[in-house]
Amino acid sequence: MTASTRIVEVRRNVLKANDEIARELRERFERAGVCVISLVSSPGSGKTAFLERTLTILRDRGARVAALVGDLATDNDAQRLARSGAPVKQIVTGTTCHLDASMVRNALEGWEPESFDFLFIENVGNLVCPASYDLGERARLVLLSVTEGEDKPLKYPSIFNSADVAVITKADLAEAVAFDTAAVLRNVETVRPGMEVRLVSARSGEGMEAMAGWLLAITGIPKPSAPAL
Amino acid sequence: MHELSIAMSIADAAAEEALRYDGTRVSAVFLRLGDLSGVVKDALLFSWEASCEGTPLAGARLVIEETRGKDLQVSGLEIEDL
Repeated sequence: MTASTRIVEVRRNVLKANDEIARELRERFERAGVCVISLVSSPGSGKTAFLERTLTILRDRGARVAALVGDLATDNDAQRLARSGAPVKQIVTGTTCHLDASMVRNALEGWEPESFDFLFIENVGNLVCPASYDLGERARLVLLSVTEGEDKPLKYPSIFNSADVAVITKADLAEAVAFDTAAVLRNVETVRPGMEVRLVSARSGEGMEAMAGWLLAITGIPKPSAPAL
Repeated sequence: MHELSIAMSIADAAAEEALRYDGTRVSAVFLRLGDLSGVVKDALLFSWEASCEGTPLAGARLVIEETRGKDLQVSGLEIEDL
């Protein structure tokens, strides 16, 4: 070190730019009265099937729902989700392995968040990178299918720590793959004590009505008339 | 593998902080990296040089302090007078 070299202290969050956009989004969503739920999981764990069924159930119960779906390529998922009748937009990320807050903000152009009760954001299938990016959501669900094995929470603690609820999917296959529910509950508890875990099957419908009920409960729909600000 | 975009964010953040120290260049960036940040140290170091190329940070070292929790924070800069 030469005499002209010195060290200066700074405290600067590397993802400050993302976090600021996420904070703006969260405030905007709150003002609009829309409950934003994001979904993360590995590829093939059933995010789209789960979401398609959830959108349909919520619509049947009178909720106004919409979805944003992120993928590296194709709009296949958006086409599948559109079958539910809900407005859906695809975010094609190119080579980017996660969604960030600015992608969500850009995708919202042309939509009025006020016109929805729920907005779902399906992240790119990836249990690593999405953990670092706040999207301004109210709650994050991490999905884990029974075919992936019980130790996923131990292998990917960051994503489980960034999420609010763990949803175990493909429950209809649990017996066929000798899935050990007690073990997965233990593993979730190890990485995220107190985390809520739900068991569902989008195919058989098991647990799906209860999941929709949970979502409706956190938004408080039917909404009480909001006091004027 | 989002370490490249994280490395670019670190370089951006450091370059912006360095603007406060006129007439200097950054020779090292100190980073606090938590075990729950979702970012891998080796992959970050691997991406660092490429991220700094052609920016005011070119040639700067990245010094990583491993911490517990979700830290992903530039904690200091080593600067040299030009």
